[in-house]
Amino acid sequence: MLRDDTNKYLPLTESTYYIMMTLVEPLHGYAVMKKVDEISKGTVKVGPGTLYGAFTALEKEELIVKVKEENRRKSYVLTPKGKNVLMNQLKRLEIMTQNGLSVIDML
Amino acid sequence: MAENTIRKIKWFWPWQDEQEEAWLRSMSQKGWHLSSVGLPCIYRFRAGEPRDYVYRLDYQTFPKKDNQEYQQLFRDAGWEYIGEMSAWQYFRKEVKEEETLEIFTDVESKIAKYKRILPFLWLFWIILIVVSPIGISIDNPYPWWGAIRATQVFTLLIWLFFTYVIIKLTLRIRQLKRL
Repeated sequence: MLRDDTNKYLPLTESTYYIMMTLVEPLHGYAVMKKVDEISKGTVKVGPGTLYGAFTALEKEELIVKVKEENRRKSYVLTPKGKNVLMNQLKRLEIMTQNGLSVIDML
Repeated sequence: MAENTIRKIKWFWPWQDEQEEAWLRSMSQKGWHLSSVGLPCIYRFRAGEPRDYVYRLDYQTFPKKDNQEYQQLFRDAGWEYIGEMSAWQYFRKEVKEEETLEIFTDVESKIAKYKRILPFLWLFWIILIVVSPIGISIDNPYPWWGAIRATQVFTLLIWLFFTYVIIKLTLRIRQLKRL
């Protein structure tokens, strides 16, 4: 884990985390927005400005890749590097949750 | 120009985009709906029924082809594209319950928007230093003394303008970071 360079992307913002998670399968922009809303149970909304910026940045860093383009809609999917980043983020969140749970009785 | 359109010229600083959005919304509430934007700071409005439209501004520079996809993404999310003024992209949406009225849904992406403007400002700022004749010391009565002095003052003023914009925009980014 220390040898790869994925740590420089962490921690992901909440929006980026959710956007990347939806891209385990190829999706276009609007589908990403709807899915983030759905899987976060409405706690995270991603506006088109935020999403466009995220797509641009993630594509530039090669964490996602364009797989299809039709009717002026681009579809993206995670690259192996992107999956790695998401996995490391998940591990961090798991540790954070465990740490939180260990003190929950004192709160 | 037809009677049912008006043209307004109004200046907004780059860190005042929220004020600009609020102004456009208030115009729509009075029945004047933004129909196009253009340089320098020209807003064209068309008369209609008063409606509660929210306006949102993004800052993006890209080739035409990418612009199509960009607009499509916003259209899918319910935003109407109005136009572009020096890389500022204008969108609107009618206010309805349970609809997201923001195009930027987190602080990070709002900051990223302002950060996209800064490189252009820095570029002009540096170019002005390079081309300005400020460093030239001249003695009166040099033949072009008046012209050179005038150019020096003029360049200095523009340079100060850019310095001011860079400082204010950087402060705006800092302010957002604290939130």
